[in-house]
Amino acid sequence: MEKPVIKGYIRENGSVGVRNYVALIPVDDLSNTAVLGVSKLIRGTVPIPHPYGRLQFGKDLELLFHILSGIGSNPNVASAIVIGIEENWANRIADKIAETGKSVEVFPIEGNGDLKVIEKASRKAKEFVQEASEKQRTEVDLSSLVLSIKCGESDTTSGLASNPATGYAVDRLIDYGATVLFGETSELTGAEDIVASKIIDPLLREKFMKIYKEYVSFIESQGVDLLGSQPTEGNIKGGLSTIEEKALGNIQKLGTKPITCVLDYLDLLPKGSSRLCFVNTSSAAAEAVTLFAAKGSVLHLFTTGQGNVIGNPIIPVVKISANPKTIASMSEHIDVDVSDLLQLKVSLREAGERIFNYTIRVANGRLTSAEILQHDEFSPTKLYISA
Amino acid sequence: MPHFLIHNKQDNVGVAITDIRRGEEIEGVYIEDMSQGPKLKALDEIPLGHKIALKDIRQGEFVIKYGRPIGSAIRDIRMGEHVHVHNVKSNRWSKWKNP
Repeated sequence: MEKPVIKGYIRENGSVGVRNYVALIPVDDLSNTAVLGVSKLIRGTVPIPHPYGRLQFGKDLELLFHILSGIGSNPNVASAIVIGIEENWANRIADKIAETGKSVEVFPIEGNGDLKVIEKASRKAKEFVQEASEKQRTEVDLSSLVLSIKCGESDTTSGLASNPATGYAVDRLIDYGATVLFGETSELTGAEDIVASKIIDPLLREKFMKIYKEYVSFIESQGVDLLGSQPTEGNIKGGLSTIEEKALGNIQKLGTKPITCVLDYLDLLPKGSSRLCFVNTSSAAAEAVTLFAAKGSVLHLFTTGQGNVIGNPIIPVVKISANPKTIASMSEHIDVDVSDLLQLKVSLREAGERIFNYTIRVANGRLTSAEILQHDEFSPTKLYISA
Repeated sequence: MPHFLIHNKQDNVGVAITDIRRGEEIEGVYIEDMSQGPKLKALDEIPLGHKIALKDIRQGEFVIKYGRPIGSAIRDIRMGEHVHVHNVKSNRWSKWKNP
């Protein structure tokens, strides 16, 4: 079979994007207004407002910087504007983005005020949008793609059909050299030993189990368990009874390849050969997809049973479902229907090929339902309260 | 079309892939090799996606799916009964283990 190629945007550092945005990044909650002001004036910009960024400290602050600079550095972003109340933190984010070779400009609000900042940033954003509009898609090898996978509002149809079919597509993508990120630390409970057994390198396996155990100890230190949260109300309505059942369904989407990298919150994705990569993430849809995008994922495959509507401002999210009721009742959100696999009308291979082919189309520019419906959820993970 | 699917030969539950009525005579398929699974009578309504007991499961016994325990029966479950949060509980999370 001929190796599929995609048409993507090759960035200054050689990474490949499938979208071409000018990102407007606020450092903190106070800067959202200016960012939204610029986005209203300048067509083609993507504002990424969020509620954090003041008086954070330690690892929690490092994670915010990691996410904001990661979003700006994402290959789907052509250039970025960073607006912050104070200049120093804005520069820390912009300097990281600048390391990728792309254009980035900082506009501090203190001493200027919103109106001056909006004017100056809008003039720069106009320049950036015009530059970005001349970037062309070029043929690149599939091996240059970084993707991510996560399920949400899962039910038993996820474990039976949409997840294994996605696992088939993940195998294909990795065979062609692509890198696939997965996470959802809490939702591996009951299948964490299976995930660990897919990690060949003993040091990485140890790292994974340490991350998993730290997470469990954190939950226990709060004097609670996750009954009532995991599985969720939606999961239970869909027939999932316990976290173990949910986890065993969840890992069906990992496919059959070994896990060759394990990333904690602040770890950067190493450059190089193809891999299946665990990322320590929340299991909440928007938080996980936001962190995957910050690590460099340019396209996300999202399986859903009961119907999750999540999207992301800078990476396309492809919705895949096998639940015929959800596909009928929430059709505008579902991109790939594999309910015929649930009903055994097609083989796993056929359903998996369908997801793989759709992934290629989205990489080539086809818009996803979430993009068209303006699902722009950007949710940085926060580790603890601010000072 | 079968009424329910079974992940693994060791499983004691199947998953309805259509809404099953109480009293309906139903049959399943093992998806690991597409072989014929058990035929039985549904004792409850089983909505699409929900589990049905393929054999009697006694209180305290594991509920098996994907060939692995997904929890324990908190009361006796008869073959054909709906298996869900009313009669099965996770073996994980501390509160359940030490109520």
